[in-house]
Amino acid sequence: MLFVPSSSDFLAILPEIILTVSAAALLLFSISARPFKRYVGEITLFIIVVAGWARLTFPLPGKVWGGTIQIDAVSSFVDLYILAAVFVCVWSAGPFLRRAEYEHTEFYSLLLLATVGAMVMASAVDALPLFLGLELLSLPLYALTAFLKRTSISLEAGLKYFVVGAFASAFVVYGLALLYGATGTTNLVAMGHAVRAMDGLNPLLALGLAGVVGGFAFKLALFPFHSWAPDVWQGSPTPVTAFLSVVPKGAVLIALFRLVDGMDLLILSSRWLIVGSILAIGSQFLGNFAAIVQRDIKRMLAYSGIAHMGYAMVAVIVAGLDGGTGVLVYMSAYTLMNIGAFAVVAFFSIDEGEAHLISDLQAQGWHRPIPALALTICLFSLAGIPPLFGFTAKFMVFGAAVNGGFVWLAVIGVVNSLVSAFCYLRVVYVMYMKPESSIATEFSPSFTLTAAAALTAVGVFVIGLYPTPILTAARVAALNLVR
Amino acid sequence: MFESHLLSLITLAPAVAAIGLGLIPGRYERLVRWLAFGISLGIFFTSLLMWMVFDPSMGGMQMVEKADWIPQFGIEFHLGVDGISLLLVLLTTLLVPVVIAASWTSVRDKVKAFHICLLLLTTGMVGAFLALDVFLFYVFWEFILIPMYFIIGVWGGARRIYAAVKFFIFTMAGSVLMLVAILYTARVHFETTGIWSFDYFVWLETASQIPMGGVWSPQMLVFIAFALAFAIKVPMFPFHTWLPDAHVEAPTGGSIILAGVLLKLGTYGFLRFNRALFPEAWEKAVPVIMVLAVIGIVYGAFVALVQPDIKKLVAYSSVSHLGFVMLGLAAGTISSTQGAILQMVNHGLATGALFLLIGILYERRGTLLIADYGGIATVVPVLTGFFLLVTLASIGLPGLNGFVGEFLILAGSWPVAPAAVVGAGLGVVLGAVTMLWMVQRVFWNPLSHEENRGLRDMNFREVATVLPLVLFIVWIGVFPMTFLAPMEAAVRLLLE
Repeated sequence: MLFVPSSSDFLAILPEIILTVSAAALLLFSISARPFKRYVGEITLFIIVVAGWARLTFPLPGKVWGGTIQIDAVSSFVDLYILAAVFVCVWSAGPFLRRAEYEHTEFYSLLLLATVGAMVMASAVDALPLFLGLELLSLPLYALTAFLKRTSISLEAGLKYFVVGAFASAFVVYGLALLYGATGTTNLVAMGHAVRAMDGLNPLLALGLAGVVGGFAFKLALFPFHSWAPDVWQGSPTPVTAFLSVVPKGAVLIALFRLVDGMDLLILSSRWLIVGSILAIGSQFLGNFAAIVQRDIKRMLAYSGIAHMGYAMVAVIVAGLDGGTGVLVYMSAYTLMNIGAFAVVAFFSIDEGEAHLISDLQAQGWHRPIPALALTICLFSLAGIPPLFGFTAKFMVFGAAVNGGFVWLAVIGVVNSLVSAFCYLRVVYVMYMKPESSIATEFSPSFTLTAAAALTAVGVFVIGLYPTPILTAARVAALNLVR
Repeated sequence: MFESHLLSLITLAPAVAAIGLGLIPGRYERLVRWLAFGISLGIFFTSLLMWMVFDPSMGGMQMVEKADWIPQFGIEFHLGVDGISLLLVLLTTLLVPVVIAASWTSVRDKVKAFHICLLLLTTGMVGAFLALDVFLFYVFWEFILIPMYFIIGVWGGARRIYAAVKFFIFTMAGSVLMLVAILYTARVHFETTGIWSFDYFVWLETASQIPMGGVWSPQMLVFIAFALAFAIKVPMFPFHTWLPDAHVEAPTGGSIILAGVLLKLGTYGFLRFNRALFPEAWEKAVPVIMVLAVIGIVYGAFVALVQPDIKKLVAYSSVSHLGFVMLGLAAGTISSTQGAILQMVNHGLATGALFLLIGILYERRGTLLIADYGGIATVVPVLTGFFLLVTLASIGLPGLNGFVGEFLILAGSWPVAPAAVVGAGLGVVLGAVTMLWMVQRVFWNPLSHEENRGLRDMNFREVATVLPLVLFIVWIGVFPMTFLAPMEAAVRLLLE
């Protein structure tokens, strides 16, 4: 049967359409109208706001496009934190690109396309749009990673990310193909039904799942698929690293959750618990311990990002309504605090080719109080100290683990929080407490970056103090996310 | 209106004021100092008002405030004060202006940030004492780490980073497991009743429903997770190793707060949570707690004896004194518990005053080694007088506050655990020897160092700073009923 889209199908994906059309238009205009280039950042910000507004205003019809995409509370929740992240990325990219002398419109265009990919992926309930979203998310990012074409570590990062990413995508698509073979459908919901009706794992299903989970673990940089992350994070232009650190993860983890929860993997096979907890616990330990010894703050945040995906995996393992709420809250919190931290990293940088040494932050707490305080709040939040948003998120995830009967996962998680506190404290120590024998490095002040960092830090603080609205929204979304 | 929100005013006003201070340009140092001092004094007077309004005949919580915070999990902003927390809140709000006055000349760098940290710390401490929602308690409890980390790490001594990180990691190590225990208890409550609640009063019923058995039974593990968090904070032997470092490296004000209030959070937690929520598990743990308490008393006193550094000596004597408090709590009779609570306050006052006077000495001479002093009694008679008085209070001279607390603890514990009392009695003697010997070496003996001849005595500000503490030290010593009366009903209620 041929599928004929109706107007409601188009209306449902209006934000995606706005972003895609704008991305193309930005490219075209930048060729014809030179003066327009100066305001491309502001225009992009406006487009993002319009897309977010469209998502909030127009109804959420549920399944559209023949049941391949589901626009519901999950979409609005995930899209909003993705768009918020992209907003801060674009906002901080302006001064960054100007300083690095890379003011090209393509940057914004690619960023918007990757955003569309992430949004599609989070809303996909069919293997095809899922993979489409994944590729649309990944391909622009390969280019963005290598955007600083005169800087060798950026090129290296781009190449590395491309090779590993393409490999991971291949795993995912092969896994999806096998899953199709095992269940006879590409629809994730129907796939879940078929799998739950099965009596344990069969080899085809197991191989398919291994492919998809492994591929996703690559994208999420989970142990033992993490080794690309530190190099790529370090080499990418800082706003791209900020994007890379949150947006793909926010989308991929939702897709992974849909798969795991839909198939009820915990019931299906006892081996999933082993696999899942190796991914979760391994990431936590590796990420936190490796973060301690890093000298470059971008690498440090990369390892800490690995650890944070480990915490979020705990919620994926738990699954169900509690797990779903946990994943959503955790990803929104992680997005906000990481974006804030990277805005500050972008502030404290002179030359992209150089390492962003933690020791360069010496005494900045007193020299540049606002960005340093914003970074401090984000780092304490990442460590999970109340009353910050990061604590709320950990509370949700570990609470879900305890409720699901996985007290041991919660215990390992909190022990890891303790280890992570150590590496975040080190940055705070350098900024505020290191003896000021040498003078603080002079970074050119940027109002935009300061404002972006301060705003996210205030957000981290305010949501931590009053998390009720976001918890309610996450709960409503989770009702749609679980089968 | 004002009275019905008295507790949240005392709790939140410091934090709001801290944010306000943040908006003042840092170069107006005098303004910042006076503002912070005025605010903290205002908060102290507000808490005196709380004391006036407080009805000592009632054992339950008073002035209770309740508001929804995170309704999804039944988490509330729930504050209340009873006879136990009343004294500790008063102690806290008294010590904060004292600390600000004591730091008037000793904190010269980053004045604004120091006072912001101090006010944030106040909110955390008062909130932890007043919180009646376990989640809320945890938030305040954990939050304290951040300002204290900065106070030690920024304004501390030579090895301040080590001390600050050690303080942070040790305390957090205890409290993360407490978080899991809190989540677990909340889940048990949810399973039995179908609703979420972190309400302390609700938990009084819930906690005993957690399956109880041997050491590895769920209730015992939850109990241990709570106990570990508090034992590190107290600190009980063998978790005390962070304390000497933190005390020695912290600035004077930090040491006063640390000794005066933060350690009390641990003993308060034992009483309020471990004792009240898990009476069955508590019974099983009492022998262990007693043994550790007595070891702490004796060990702390012995180690203090050989310290060459005055601050370290007082820090180890704190380990010993907190052992008395734990002994009183573990014995669990009415009078021993009352004595323990009073001793928390006593220790806060006496050790706070000691650190204050040590700070004054350090400011003049730049060293804390006992060997660098000697015979300065003739040079600084006023300082010597105060120091001697406070030392005597600390070692329990009758007529001063320490005696009342120690007497109640030992007399109250005697019927329950005579052996422990004998051990603790040995600690009393040792502690007295330690402290008096230190006073002798610092203030008496011949004046051996020429540079000590020119030491300035205490000025008006310094005397005015220490006087309120001395006033309370004498008041409690001479007329303890003022302070014992309000807590009696609450202690009775808690123990039964």
